[in-house]
Amino acid sequence: MILTGPEITTAVRDGRLRIAPFESGQVNPNSYNVRLGPTLLTYTEPVIDAHRPNPTTTTDIGPEGYVLQPGELYLGHTLEEVGSDTFVPLLFGRSSVGRLGLFVEITAPIGDIGFHGQWTLMLNPVRPLRVYPGMKIGQIMFFVSVGPVDLYAGKYQAALGPQPSGYWRDQAGTGAVA
Amino acid sequence: MILTGPAIAAAVAAGEIAIDPFEPARLSPNAYDWRLGETLRICASDLDAAAPTPFAEVGIPAGGLVLQPDVLYLGVTLERTGSERYAQMLNGDRTTGALGIWVHVSAPLGHAGHAIRWTLEIRAARPVRVYPGMTFGKLVFLQTFGAPASYQQHGLKYTATDGIDISRLYEEIPGGGA
Repeated sequence: MILTGPEITTAVRDGRLRIAPFESGQVNPNSYNVRLGPTLLTYTEPVIDAHRPNPTTTTDIGPEGYVLQPGELYLGHTLEEVGSDTFVPLLFGRSSVGRLGLFVEITAPIGDIGFHGQWTLMLNPVRPLRVYPGMKIGQIMFFVSVGPVDLYAGKYQAALGPQPSGYWRDQAGTGAVA
Repeated sequence: MILTGPAIAAAVAAGEIAIDPFEPARLSPNAYDWRLGETLRICASDLDAAAPTPFAEVGIPAGGLVLQPDVLYLGVTLERTGSERYAQMLNGDRTTGALGIWVHVSAPLGHAGHAIRWTLEIRAARPVRVYPGMTFGKLVFLQTFGAPASYQQHGLKYTATDGIDISRLYEEIPGGGA
């Protein structure tokens, strides 16, 4: 089952959900609108290597906005820290943003119960697109879970700002990469 | 929880879900198999979240129309769907996906209270010919948890759209709408 807007508000008040900062005006009938944070990361090497840490460069989106280019992958982040020890979060773009041809996540909408932090956005536009800091860019919805809960304790816990892929850390654990 | 095909049929009969036109043969085990409408808007320029999107509108001929990669197309579902009781999620089907077609750009959620022909955000991985009225994706219905809230009472932007809507995000951005 997917939470209604009023239930999202109730759950924030009683602690089953954490959204910070929380603005009641950003609650939808079945989701919460999250805003684009000011920081973008891009990978600087021509080829991203799943088995190695990949160097990145940081861009701050000024008030005049920043033009995202097709063919580039931008890692952005939500302004809000969002998480729950009770419900399963899913993050998608808003339809208003989809209609501008901007992917906000790449085949990974499902979050983990117990993750708390700013969500990394995987931004990839179909056409060149100017975006602005603080614009409402995505929607997080919450699903009731079934079964005992084993809380998230993974590598992105308590994230602040965009997080590059940490796949290499898992590889390092198996000895594949120094 | 996701409604099964028979549960969707029962909800249509009870007036809790509207699908127009409704063809029982388009019910699948846990979805309704919706069709592509007859019109596309082609967005091939640079876009700005703070400005209306320029577009050219074309009909899809009976002989089909070839979608090109790197162009954003806004389409529309042939069906109008709505429910005050259930949330909806619209996606492509595996047949469409295997043609390399995205039917939305990371924005699948329809809030409870939607009563719309859905605007589609179409992108092609390779040139691909599409036809008007072709089966294009699946619409699933989700039970909600908590006190209901209807999109119709939220004063939101796309409450009763009957065609293709460009993004109206510019209405939210200070200085937008130029």
